Amino acid sequence: MDNVCEDRIFSSIFKTHSKTVFNYIYYKFGNEEKANDAVQEAFVKLWENCAKVSPEKAKSFVYTVANNLYLNVIKAEKVRIKYADKGNDRSHESPEFLMEEKQYKEKLEKALDALPENQRTTFLLNRIDGKKYAEIAEMEGVSVKAIEKRMHLALKSLREQIDGI
Amino acid sequence: MQENYLAKWLSGELSAEELAEFKKSDEYASYVKLMEVSGTMEAPDFDVDGALQRIKDERIGNAPKVIALNPFKKFLRVAAVIAVLMVGSYLYLNTLDESVTTDFAERSEVILPDNSEIFLNAGSQVSFSEKKWDQKRDVSLKGEAFFKVAKGKKFTVSTEHGTVAVLGTQFNVENRKGFFEVTCYEGLVSVTHNNTETKLPAGTSFVVIDGKIIDSTKPNGTRPAWMGNESSFERIPLQYVLAELERQFNIKVKTKNVNTELLFTGTFNNTNLEMALKSISTPSQIQYKIEGDNVLFYAGNTLQ
Repeated sequence: MDNVCEDRIFSSIFKTHSKTVFNYIYYKFGNEEKANDAVQEAFVKLWENCAKVSPEKAKSFVYTVANNLYLNVIKAEKVRIKYADKGNDRSHESPEFLMEEKQYKEKLEKALDALPENQRTTFLLNRIDGKKYAEIAEMEGVSVKAIEKRMHLALKSLREQIDGI
Repeated sequence: MQENYLAKWLSGELSAEELAEFKKSDEYASYVKLMEVSGTMEAPDFDVDGALQRIKDERIGNAPKVIALNPFKKFLRVAAVIAVLMVGSYLYLNTLDESVTTDFAERSEVILPDNSEIFLNAGSQVSFSEKKWDQKRDVSLKGEAFFKVAKGKKFTVSTEHGTVAVLGTQFNVENRKGFFEVTCYEGLVSVTHNNTETKLPAGTSFVVIDGKIIDSTKPNGTRPAWMGNESSFERIPLQYVLAELERQFNIKVKTKNVNTELLFTGTFNNTNLEMALKSISTPSQIQYKIEGDNVLFYAGNTLQ
């Protein structure tokens, strides 16, 4: 049977999930340092308990540890989001179009900051990390329906903010 | 449109009709744009390999498995601390005096090392040193107590109003706020109050109320009335009678238009509140009213 204490298994779990743990905490608090610390804390704890945690449970174990680490932190900082550079296919766009895009992204960033923490986390986990609603529900420890509600409200308020309603 | 349709649309779970309807709405274009742009977002960089290396370093540095192998050492440390605390507190407590306290509506009996007995009335406290008892028979008293002293060396009772010294006898000391009474039932008692010594032969009392020595009559019986569950008073101001009532029944007494300086002679029962209240109110010609733990004494018809 696979054991998390085995270096090979541990490294593979780390490579699969550490980035999402990092993003997850970053979306919540907008603080890279906290996000890095959460990854360290979660996986050190996983290592310490490697004999008790099966590889299948490892994923929810690290999310729970990371989540609990900042249970008492209420104030979120500004979440800064980058955009993927699509390379050369953008160079033929008109300056006006690029200007509009830039403004749109600024508006989107502002609107994201105005979202409640749980809506922002859900939205970004879906849009950036491509997590399905069921996966986010498992991470947050709530029902899929609750995540759909958060997503719906997030889309609605983002649209309203950006369109200036 | 179903609940949370925006979320369903994004995950491609809308039915064909719903999708067609949504496409016709004014906001549709805005949502498409939002979906497109948010699809190009990225989180800050995260160095997976660097983070993994740091955890591996920490794992070696911490060597968590080793700690778990030494639980006995930890246990020894805890045990040592507990042992030191226990010995320390034993030595400390040994130097402290023995002390017995009674609450309101409570009695207690104390047997001293030489088999002398102390009966403690309600709301009182005695303390004495068990260790040094053989050298010095000394008891400090707050409140009221009846003493049956075994024959032997000088026995003293210290109170804030004065000291009572005896050789072997039975006597009662009441030491309350503004009130000090010593009654001797057997033998001879010496009372020192304000540096003046008074000898009390059996069957006499010494009473001080508000600093004044009062002439008092001879006590009845061979033990104080409270030992028989009664509180007895001989020309005592009503306020001290009411204070005793509060102590015996653990109640709060209030008065309205009642002169509490009037002298009261009589007895009340310490076990039946109704009877006790009647015993006080009838001779004093006042009324009373009970509300829970509170009793109000009032004159004639002042309440209406």
